[in-house]
Amino acid sequence: MPEKCADPAAARLTQAAACAGGDLGRGGWMSVLSAVLWLPQAALVASVLSGLLDGTATDRTIWLAAGGFAALGLLRAAIQALSDRVLVEAVDHVLARERAELIATQGRRSPMSSGPGSAAVAALASEKLAMLAPFLTRYRPSSLRVRVLPLVIWGVSLWHSWAVAVILLVAGPLIPMFMALVGMAARDASERQMDEIGSLNTLLMERLNALVDIRLLAAAPRVVAQFEGQADALRQRTMAVLRVAFLSSTVLELFSALGVALVAVYVGFALLGQIGFGAWTTPLTVREGIFLLLLAPEFFQPLRDLAAAWHDKAAATAVARDLVEIEADTPSALLGSGVAVAPMSGPPSISARGVRVAVAPGQVVSYPDFDLPAGRTCALIGPSGRGKTVLMSALAGLVPIAGGQITVAGQRLTAETADAWRMRVGWIPQSPHFFAETLQANLRRAAPGATQAELWRALSAVQAEDVVRRLPRGLQTRLGETGTGVSGGEARRLMVARAALGRADVILADEPTANLDSETTAVVTAGLLELARNGASLIVATHDPVLVAQLELRIDLGDVA
Amino acid sequence: MKPLWTIFRLVWRADRWTMTRGIALAVVVLVMGVALLGLSGWFIVGAGAAGLAGTGAIFDVFRPSAGVRFLALGRTAARYGERLLTHDATLKALAVLRARLLAGIARAPFDRMRQVRGAQVLNRLTADVDALDGVALRVVIPVVAAVLTLGLALVTLSWLVDPAVALWSVLSLAIGAGLALALAARRSARPSRLAQAMSQAFRVRLIDHLRGRSMLAFSGQLSESEAAVLAADTRNRKHTLEVARIERRAGALISASATMAAAGALLIGAEMARSGTLAPSLAALGFFATLALAETVAPLRRGVAEIGAMREAARRVTRMLDSPVEDGGGSYAGAEALADLALQDVTILRPGAAAPLLTSVTLSVAPGESLALVGRSGAGKSTLLNAIAGLEPVAAGTVLIGGTPLLKWSEHALRIRLGYLPQRSALVSGTIAQNLWLGQPEADAERMLECLNRVCLGDVVARLGGLEAQLGEGGRGLSGGEARRLTLARVLLRNPDILLLDEPTEGLDRDTANRVLDGIRQACPQAAILIAAHRAEERAWADQALALQ
Repeated sequence: MPEKCADPAAARLTQAAACAGGDLGRGGWMSVLSAVLWLPQAALVASVLSGLLDGTATDRTIWLAAGGFAALGLLRAAIQALSDRVLVEAVDHVLARERAELIATQGRRSPMSSGPGSAAVAALASEKLAMLAPFLTRYRPSSLRVRVLPLVIWGVSLWHSWAVAVILLVAGPLIPMFMALVGMAARDASERQMDEIGSLNTLLMERLNALVDIRLLAAAPRVVAQFEGQADALRQRTMAVLRVAFLSSTVLELFSALGVALVAVYVGFALLGQIGFGAWTTPLTVREGIFLLLLAPEFFQPLRDLAAAWHDKAAATAVARDLVEIEADTPSALLGSGVAVAPMSGPPSISARGVRVAVAPGQVVSYPDFDLPAGRTCALIGPSGRGKTVLMSALAGLVPIAGGQITVAGQRLTAETADAWRMRVGWIPQSPHFFAETLQANLRRAAPGATQAELWRALSAVQAEDVVRRLPRGLQTRLGETGTGVSGGEARRLMVARAALGRADVILADEPTANLDSETTAVVTAGLLELARNGASLIVATHDPVLVAQLELRIDLGDVA
Repeated sequence: MKPLWTIFRLVWRADRWTMTRGIALAVVVLVMGVALLGLSGWFIVGAGAAGLAGTGAIFDVFRPSAGVRFLALGRTAARYGERLLTHDATLKALAVLRARLLAGIARAPFDRMRQVRGAQVLNRLTADVDALDGVALRVVIPVVAAVLTLGLALVTLSWLVDPAVALWSVLSLAIGAGLALALAARRSARPSRLAQAMSQAFRVRLIDHLRGRSMLAFSGQLSESEAAVLAADTRNRKHTLEVARIERRAGALISASATMAAAGALLIGAEMARSGTLAPSLAALGFFATLALAETVAPLRRGVAEIGAMREAARRVTRMLDSPVEDGGGSYAGAEALADLALQDVTILRPGAAAPLLTSVTLSVAPGESLALVGRSGAGKSTLLNAIAGLEPVAAGTVLIGGTPLLKWSEHALRIRLGYLPQRSALVSGTIAQNLWLGQPEADAERMLECLNRVCLGDVVARLGGLEAQLGEGGRGLSGGEARRLTLARVLLRNPDILLLDEPTEGLDRDTANRVLDGIRQACPQAAILIAAHRAEERAWADQALALQ
């Protein structure tokens, strides 16, 4: 059952790793090679120490062996560093690719399609994808070492002494059991700890978010004390879990320590001649004994590395699951590629025939047919939920239609023509969006070459000069999350000013006066009509009867189909 | 390094006793590991020598083999204890660090507090605090344990084996690890900082790109924006690779020094054994112990990788910890009488703005009276309330609370007299009672329910299950209008002399709005109320109105 659930995630991880070519594999094998080099090092040490006992050691052999030991050790360090480098660079490649793919798909998702929010996608693209790195650089190489090294060392041990091989073999079949045991426990432990940190962070963020209120209520000392209490309760719960979880990794350490101790004791007794069995060449030589003792810890080391890296796998699997989930639904994309092209030519008339749009899987909305000659103003009316925003989006090529056809400036609106069509359209969305840059840069997005005079003229159309003058740094104010805010009405006015600056031939405005006070509504309405007076077609989705009355035409979508 | 030291002191004070025991056990684990390998090496070579000499029968095998078993088991047990203690200490440190941060920012000037509300700043702050979680576990405890173990090894090996072997082993390990740490701390700070900054930029640009993708499609900038997002990621990854490179070098330095330590110990010991000044078994002891001593410096590698990021995080977090106290030194504690509110020629100019937001506002509200501020959105109603509450500076003119200028009031006394419901008011997860408790810790259930009824929330709360009903993060479980009224009830519970309300009935239907407005007056009959009015009901309810131009 868990096998089945983990499968798509595991496949996704393999797929992610595959794009690094063979580099991840090469890096892993290098780390194996680096670990294997311990064998000749151990052999050199054994030769020196046994040479001291049987008197065969000379100045030259000692220097050669010590020098060889040092050289091999440095070589190991170098190979390990190289392995790290290959792995880290391969992972860099994987991350670059995964991020680019995710962003390309999500960045072209139709604004009308369902799917994860921007913050969730950003979290996945940045820190969550980064969690693949420790999995690929630590967990996978150590799981490769687990498959190779114990086997090699066991074989070498068997060559010299079957008794030592038996001791290791007793631990050998236990390895998968250890792994499962340790794996489960370590996963549990690290997840608990992550949860703990996660909950603490949530608690902290929430309080930081409410800090102005807390200060106004003079509640800071109470809140800090409460936070400490909650944190302490969390700690106690976590420690209760950790006490059990750490036990199982202690079992692994215990067995590996006992394994090494048994080898040491066996070798000692064998060398003393008190144990006469266990070696092929009786008695076991000193050199063999020392060699075996040096190998024994390395038999268990890969396993310990793997246990230490277990959490990396759990984290990466969670990320892979998110990826599988987000990739499972193929969102409808906006038409065209969103790049700047030559604007479509011809008078910007719009007509719709039998237009149907899939707003959700299995839910298709049909729209009445209509023709809008160029340069006219038109209200799009209908009750909430009828799909006004969807139709506006379809007219702009932001959402693909499921049936019928939309003709703009005499051409059919398709993926090929959408970019050229949008070059002539100005968009005033229902919820204003400002990019994290200066107000001036935001306004100029629609008209990169606009002069200061043109900027101020566009602002004056919606009486927004004062709004700008009162901002801390005027046009240079950075709007957005951390910047100074403007009120909802001011934001709408600035959106109209931006559309005015773009000199678009067609303006699509979605509920431009919703939730505004009457004064601001009047200003926004006047601004929109001013755009129309300058020759633009104007389509406004609205509930506002006053606004509707000032427009020439109307398209009534009727009741919910 | 000073900020990092400050953070460590904070963490250390969280629970010295647990931390000390954790470090002690970490040393025990390392020492037992060294002893285990050293004893094993000595035992085998000694046994080999005895076997060759034919004196195997009189060689004492039992004490060494018992020692090996004892050390193997003891080390495992000590390791368990060490992990428990150090994790306990770390969890305490996590909590302390966050609590101190909370307390620190709670004292900060209001503009900084408001900055912290942005998701971007919150994200970075969380990332910083997370980075600091490893200060004790991955830097300080391993370093202290390594220093103590190496010191102990120096003395013991000098005594058991030979000072030359001991000095060589310990010094090469210490120098290697020290250099690696210094290298990493110095070199990785900059790329860590840049990687962090670029990763933030990547996130911000990506969110911007996704939220603004329709707008970008209209200006034909979708691909350019995508390229800008990816460019931030490319730079982020470049700096991350740089950090990895430094870590790799530091790691290689540690490995190399461990190799040289062992090779040297082997050489010196073997040469002495050959010349007869040292027993071969003791030479083996020296070599095996040195091998195990490498375990003392190996854990530092992880800390080395993070120390650059930690320094950066510590620098930012310590700044938050001891933020300047907002309280302008005012000490006025207020008189017995109810305070009234008066503004004389108040002008508000945002720093850097060309035109003042408000000029020469003069008004007064006596106890029991109410005044509505009206004007179109953006006219400065909210800003004026913020200024009266001390959240924003006044460029000219005076705000008088109970006849005393705002700046002369002590923060604590001012908050008792002045209740303010700002436009954006947040709830926290927990019970409804806990949220109200923020407003007034002494209020009992009866008083809380009374206040909830005043704002027409009595039925809602009863439906949810009473005062002990749980709310989710940020007050989830209540609708927008209900959450708004709960924050209102929280302010009313304080029964302040002066009540500043910013659009208190936003999002309510007309009937409920009127009942809530009447409830406000009933809850605080003597309060001087200043209300930023958005809708006709609020304007009609107030005794007087003042239009802001």
